[in-house]
Amino acid sequence: MAQELQSINLVAPAFKGVNTEDSPLAQDPSFAEIADNAVIDKRGRIASRKGHNVITTTKTVLGTSSIRAIEEFRDDAGNNKIFSVGNNKIISGTTTLVDETPASYTITADNWKIVNFNDKIYFFQRGYEPLVYDNAGGSVVKLSTVSGAAGVASTMYGNEVLAAYGRLWTADFSSDKSTIYWCDLLIGHDWSGGTSGSIDVSKVWPDGYDEIVALAAHNGLLIIFGKHSIIVYQGAEAPATMSLVDTVAGVGCVDRDTVQHTGTDVLFLSHTGLKSFSRTIQEKSMPISSLSTNITKDIISALQNESEFYRTVYSPEEGFYLIAFTGQNVIYCFDVRGTLENGAYRATRWVGTGFTAFSRIADGSLYIGTTSGISEYTGYSDNGLKYRFKYYSPSLTFGDASRAKILKKLKPTLIGANDATVFLKWAYNFDTTYSTAEFTVGTQITGYYGESEYTTVEFTAGQLTSQRSINATGYGTSVVVGLEADINGAALSLQEINVMALIGKLL
Amino acid sequence: MAVATDDETIGGGGGFFDFLGGLGSYLMQPDVLLPGVVGGLLTGEAYGRLSDIGQQAKLGAETLAAQQLEQTQFRPFTVTTATGGAMDTQVTPEGAIATTMGLSPEEEALQQQLLGGAGTFFGRAEQPMGAREQAIYDRMRGVQRPEEERQRLALEERMAAQGRLGLSSAAYGGATPELLAQQTAISEARDRAMLGAMQQAQAEQMQQAQLGQAFLGAGYIPQQQLLAATQPAQQLAALQQQAQLQGAGLFGEATMSGLEAKLIAEQARANLLGQTGTGLLAGALTPRTDNSLIASAISGLGKFFD
Repeated sequence: MAQELQSINLVAPAFKGVNTEDSPLAQDPSFAEIADNAVIDKRGRIASRKGHNVITTTKTVLGTSSIRAIEEFRDDAGNNKIFSVGNNKIISGTTTLVDETPASYTITADNWKIVNFNDKIYFFQRGYEPLVYDNAGGSVVKLSTVSGAAGVASTMYGNEVLAAYGRLWTADFSSDKSTIYWCDLLIGHDWSGGTSGSIDVSKVWPDGYDEIVALAAHNGLLIIFGKHSIIVYQGAEAPATMSLVDTVAGVGCVDRDTVQHTGTDVLFLSHTGLKSFSRTIQEKSMPISSLSTNITKDIISALQNESEFYRTVYSPEEGFYLIAFTGQNVIYCFDVRGTLENGAYRATRWVGTGFTAFSRIADGSLYIGTTSGISEYTGYSDNGLKYRFKYYSPSLTFGDASRAKILKKLKPTLIGANDATVFLKWAYNFDTTYSTAEFTVGTQITGYYGESEYTTVEFTAGQLTSQRSINATGYGTSVVVGLEADINGAALSLQEINVMALIGKLL
Repeated sequence: MAVATDDETIGGGGGFFDFLGGLGSYLMQPDVLLPGVVGGLLTGEAYGRLSDIGQQAKLGAETLAAQQLEQTQFRPFTVTTATGGAMDTQVTPEGAIATTMGLSPEEEALQQQLLGGAGTFFGRAEQPMGAREQAIYDRMRGVQRPEEERQRLALEERMAAQGRLGLSSAAYGGATPELLAQQTAISEARDRAMLGAMQQAQAEQMQQAQLGQAFLGAGYIPQQQLLAATQPAQQLAALQQQAQLQGAGLFGEATMSGLEAKLIAEQARANLLGQTGTGLLAGALTPRTDNSLIASAISGLGKFFD
């Protein structure tokens, strides 16, 4: 007797992001095995990320190198200027990149950290004399050349710089990994007078020894990230009297550029994944939950294989925290709008983007550095080129891993993806050889008032929704369903996939 | 006539020798010559006696002075105290008075000890104070350091607990507020110790000087006591001297009274004799006639004695 088709509806598949930690068989279908070039959209669906639109038109000074850091200079008078670094140069501008490197100043590395402080912007990199720019001067100069500069010495050529509590704080020096220097109050070029000072935390590390990697300010606290421990000082507004308030052992920060403020918290990447400072302080004792619990092994693997830089950005507008492993051309995207039951952020992965720097500027735009110069995170193509969106479900057993499943139909519901070619894929029993069905999403041309009313279209037909029914083949005890699409100008969201299957005999 | 001649000579201004020639002629007359000679001898005798009386008075006075000098001579005396000290007075061959004082051996030993102590104390007072100040300072700091060390360790522990051991602020001289406060307190303690050491050293110097002064004063007490012990003896000696002087005065007065009486008697005898001689001489020279020659001679003699 013919069996009845069972309908298994994967509603909002992967809206919990990627999970590579749990057993595929035991996973919630709301996770994804793969979610490349994807984000969680505003309705909680997995969707294609935005692309980037290169703003730069003249990038002679950059050559074939990539932008390694971007920061917007702003002062109280309303002046602003975009600075970036790359090709061993200090660069300004967005459309035309201009070399701002001071004369007779040789740069051989682009691992700068750039911060705004008191109407000036400062550039710090280990072993290099800090640079400074302000609107009045109009050019980037060495810090020691600023009138009134004091105490600018190689001992304070730090790799990390933090502008907080009315001071610049710097740490991570070539031969000193335990000292933090701070400048005089509101005077970023005075490092030996006034209320400037330093603190050697070598005797404070809870594990006996560590090295300062990053600094952060949060809620009146000065947070000092070591490689595998954290120490926290209170009263940093008056550093001469600040005191240790907390220490955390076993959790550190892998790189200064992974630290991002979210307004209510500080996120940082430890050697075991993405962490939240507040939660780290609250929980303190091990194990400390990770915000990247669902992809911990992936993160650790990326950390171990990284040979270049870490670049991160927090975008409240997009609701994500990005961390790029530039040497591997991989970005992990964490949706910070909420956490899952296990406390983790929903994570997706962006691959092959070529993004090497990020910066959220004052108007909320997200600037991206690439070899092409400076781009803006916008649109749905990578500067006119398509990129591949991928979704693969975890292995689905439909509640009974012992019986065969015979897929009959796959019915994806897609939102958007105008005129995109979609590849629907399925495989059985953990096989990585997928069966593929290809289809093209319908076209919908957006009609704008006054532009197309009497030409191509009269009005826009609303949100483009595509539902297709794809006949599937084969059988197995577990099934993986995937969907890939080249994003080239239109967003794609995966609303649901309805899987029609016959449950067969015991295998 | 000769007289006339003489008168003429004289009257005629024959000179002094002519006058003498006339006088001689007159005097050679017998009724003039004898009374005149006797009167002259008596007068001469009276004159001689008056001269002898003066000589005798002078000799008597000198003898009296010598006797009184001997009678008023200082009589040396010796004072011996109950503790064995003694003061002795002597008249030197030159007539000066020499005084010698001697202490008993015990007193002398005590005096030597006290004066030696005074020298020692004065010597200490004269020493430079730097070394003593340093010694006092070291002792004071030696007392303070253990507590300072405890405070330092406690602060170190507090700072370690607060993670502030490695903190350095330019506003606090490269240290921290609490370290600066501690160092300030230590510096103040050090300053106070230094000042205290200086004051103590000065006080000790003053004390040494006072002790030296006291020892010096005490060293002369035996001598002062000896001098004090001689005071009654000196008063007795003064009384003796006074009586001696008084006796010598009485002796002198008595002796001088005898001499004066003798002088008066001898003077009266000389005067009587002189008056007799004068009477004889006046009779001899009184003219019996009006003889102008004599008158002129007498007149000339009167002129001669004018």
